[in-house]
Amino acid sequence: MLQKKICMLGGFAVGKTSLVRRFVQSIFSETYLTTVGVKIDKKNVALQDKTVDLILWDLAGEDDIGSFRVSYVRGATGLVLVVDGTRAATLAVALTLRERAEAEFGAMPFVLLINKSDLADRWAISDSEINELRQRGWQIYLTSALSGEHVDDAFRQLALMVTK
Amino acid sequence: METLRQLLVSREISELSRVTHLLDEPEQLAAAVGGVLSSAAARAPHTQLGEALAPAVERAVQRSIQKSPRTLTDILYPVFLPAIRKSIGEKIDQTFQSLNETLRHIFTWHGLKWRFESWRTGASFSEVVLKHSLIYRVEHAFLINRNSGLLIAHVTADNATSEDPQLISSMLSAIQDFVKDSFNEKEQSGLDTIRFGDLRLWSEVGPFATLVAVIRGNPPEDLHEIIRDVLLRIHEECSQALVEFDGDSSQLAGVEAQLQTCVELKQEESNQGFPWLVVALALLLLILAGGWFFLSWQSGQRWQAYVSRLETQPGIIVAEQKIRDGQFYIAGLRDPLGADPQSLLSGTQVDPDRVHSQWQFYQSLEPEFVLKRLTASLAPPVSVRLSIVNDRIVAEGEAPNTWIDRARAAARQLSAGGPLFDISRVRDVSPEVREAEHWQAYVSRLETQPGIIVAEQKIRDGQFYIVGLRDPLGADPQSLLPGTQIDPARVHSQWQFYQSLEPEFVLKRLTALLYPLNSVRLSIVQGRIVAEGEAPDTWIDRARAAARQLSAGGPEFDISKVLDVSPEARAAEHWQYYVSRLEAQPGIIVAQQTERGGDFYISGLRDPLAVDPKALLSGTEVDPARVHSQWQFYQSLDPKFVVKRLTASLTPPKSVQLSIVQGRIVVVGEAPAAWINRAQAAAEQLSADGVVLDVSQLHELNLAELNYLREAIQATDIFFYSGKVVPGPEQLPVLDRLADQIKEFAQNARKSGVTARFMLTGHSDATGRETANASISAARAETVRALLNKRGVAPELLLVRGAGTFEPLVPENSQTGSSTNRRVSITVNLD
Ligand SMILES: Nc1nc2c(ncn2[C@@H]2O[C@H](COP(=O)(O)OP(=O)(O)OP(=O)(O)O)[C@@H](O)[C@H]2O)c(=O)[nH]1
Ligand SMILES: [Mg+2]
Repeated sequence: MLQKKICMLGGFAVGKTSLVRRFVQSIFSETYLTTVGVKIDKKNVALQDKTVDLILWDLAGEDDIGSFRVSYVRGATGLVLVVDGTRAATLAVALTLRERAEAEFGAMPFVLLINKSDLADRWAISDSEINELRQRGWQIYLTSALSGEHVDDAFRQLALMVTK
Repeated sequence: METLRQLLVSREISELSRVTHLLDEPEQLAAAVGGVLSSAAARAPHTQLGEALAPAVERAVQRSIQKSPRTLTDILYPVFLPAIRKSIGEKIDQTFQSLNETLRHIFTWHGLKWRFESWRTGASFSEVVLKHSLIYRVEHAFLINRNSGLLIAHVTADNATSEDPQLISSMLSAIQDFVKDSFNEKEQSGLDTIRFGDLRLWSEVGPFATLVAVIRGNPPEDLHEIIRDVLLRIHEECSQALVEFDGDSSQLAGVEAQLQTCVELKQEESNQGFPWLVVALALLLLILAGGWFFLSWQSGQRWQAYVSRLETQPGIIVAEQKIRDGQFYIAGLRDPLGADPQSLLSGTQVDPDRVHSQWQFYQSLEPEFVLKRLTASLAPPVSVRLSIVNDRIVAEGEAPNTWIDRARAAARQLSAGGPLFDISRVRDVSPEVREAEHWQAYVSRLETQPGIIVAEQKIRDGQFYIVGLRDPLGADPQSLLPGTQIDPARVHSQWQFYQSLEPEFVLKRLTALLYPLNSVRLSIVQGRIVAEGEAPDTWIDRARAAARQLSAGGPEFDISKVLDVSPEARAAEHWQYYVSRLEAQPGIIVAQQTERGGDFYISGLRDPLAVDPKALLSGTEVDPARVHSQWQFYQSLDPKFVVKRLTASLTPPKSVQLSIVQGRIVVVGEAPAAWINRAQAAAEQLSADGVVLDVSQLHELNLAELNYLREAIQATDIFFYSGKVVPGPEQLPVLDRLADQIKEFAQNARKSGVTARFMLTGHSDATGRETANASISAARAETVRALLNKRGVAPELLLVRGAGTFEPLVPENSQTGSSTNRRVSITVNLD
């Protein structure tokens, strides 16, 4: 049995919980119930030569970095950074949270998910910006918890990265 | 060549020499190795490096401890302290839990059961209580990576279910983090206990892994220790794998076996352990055996009671007794007159069939048996009673001499060891002796009889003769015979009648003679016959005659207590009552009184201050019209009357009191000298009449303050101008003061019971004619009286007098006359 602890990091209401639900249960709900503390889920991911249990820690979204509970990240082997594509500011929040976690526990693999891609009309993050980040070698996905687009890909990519 | 070599390898050579030099010089070598040591250690394979270093490190630590244990203690202190603290806390909890449970069950049925178990198994009671009251089962055991919260291993008890253990594991560590963060808890330990209803999560935190046991029920505190032991063992066995755990638990498959030991822990309620059947059987046996023992013990007790009863029985001697195989054996002696041992068996609850007795007859010498045998052989008459007194057999009563002889023979025959037979108290009663006794009793009874005088009596040839006097009113001697056991036919009596002078006979005769009325009662008082009550004078006359007739030797007949009931006698009685009342009256002296022809005459003296004799008549039933009295007034010398008279004549002041003390009149208090003189005179007069008037306690009125005032008044003079009768205006203040003084003096004197009077005497100087001087002096006195009167002095207190020139204050010789002598002087008189 191989398990990995993965933490979902991002600002509030960016869709962390929705992404986990989509990935684990393949469902989506419009209603917004903010996460308090942490919610844990598990998804078994089959890779080519092995299977891994991703233990997904869905943390409460914080825009204020000061109240972020970094201790939840202890022992994590990978991060899922979530950004709301309709709110440019959430990108900065996600990056800051990652820095905070790495400062505490060292560098670890991550994927960056720019979510709510179905809301193209309200899109607020430019392609150039995304490309610039991609240049750093980062794995970036434009996802939609609503439609499920790229969600599995993103998580599978992270599974690969953490089991390497 | 050299040059070539120089050219080709000179650099290498110098480098080589530098390295060789470096290796040869320890100082430099140390410096060089020191520079790379840390990175070399980091790169070396961990296991090999550890093994290589271990001995050195161990030695180093040893040295350090030997040198100064303090240092290491200080280093380890933060590690040990929480563990120690926790361990102590648990121990205390454990103790409390044990105490709690023990107390809770100490008086219950379970408690009793468990006490038995504790006794059976040798475990302490509290252990047993905990074992039974703490029912629990460890359902799950989770071994969780302390760092990531990932599940390392999970073991479940049979038919216990749970959600995904991986999720649970992560959630548990998330909760740990949450609590720690929320309350800013710095401590290394985690959440010890989570309790949810019947479910408890106990976690033990190790350096790399946390062991969480999920327990259903009520676990004992020492379970903590067991869990901790398991965790410790896991850490020991797989420390390497634990440290390196990165989510792959395949390396740690072995720990499941360890966890399994945790999950197997439980304490279930069970009744099977208790051997009810065995206990019941044992109890039954015990009861049966106890019953048998009790029964045989009881029958033994009953037999012993029977034997001891036999032993106390007179006429029975128990020689031997025993119990064998449930049978009772007894042997001994018994008197045929004693109780039958067999008959004593009934009522003892000893089974007669199991009693085997062997009795030999014998004659008991115990007094009661001897008594029985004597009674049987002597057949004593009814009048004789045999009894045992102090172990002697005593015969009492009366018997004919024939029986007495037989008894004496039996007494002699009684064997030496037997009791004494005492017949000394049996009286010989032959018929003649008995008859003579009866006769004497009869005669002595006659002799005590009033109105019977026995003169002579005797017995001859079985005949009784008696001679004497008898009063016909006395008892008949013949009638006294029945009941005396004397044959009347053999009594020959000769009685002469006579009149007895014994009071009771005289009383009987008087009663017959006088036929006294109902109102008169005759009785005997100290040998005299007394008549009491009321009777007409005719009866009294008859009674008086009878009293006179009573012969000289007879008792006295007293009729003085019989009252005459005739009207005259009544009236006379009332009169006598009135007279006696008068005589008791103070201030009245009755000289003479008579009653003649139904009228009453009385004469005497009476004090005018005494009660009127007439007034006393009312209520006496004496007709006032028939009373003729002649009273002369006199002065009674009775102190009461004397006091009344003295009070009237002397009019004593308020400060004086008259009282009668033991017939003497005593005057006490204060009075002016004049009054005291009068009182003394009165006392002298009275003493001639034999009345004492004691004035010795009379004191003269204390007039000290008055005297001061009196002097002030008497020193005052009112002065006048020549030829004037009205004093000048400068005299007015003097007059004002004088008026006040006089008023004050008069008032005080009155209080003391004296009257003060003030004499105003007018004076004149010697100029002018004498007659004019006399009148001018009087006029001056009159003026002053008027002026004083005006100032509120009562006029009757002021007396006025003119002295003319006759009482001059200073001698006069000049022609102009002395102003000092023109004055009014004042003198004070008390009476
Ligand atoms: N249209 C659209 N809506 C989304 C998508 N993902 C999330 N939402 C909505 O966004 C809201 C927030 O979603 P959550 O998943 O609860 O967001 P969250 O990041 O978990 O928020 P916090 O727990 O508060 O940090 C919800 O109303 C979702 O329905 C998406 O891809 N497309
Ligand atoms: Mg959420």
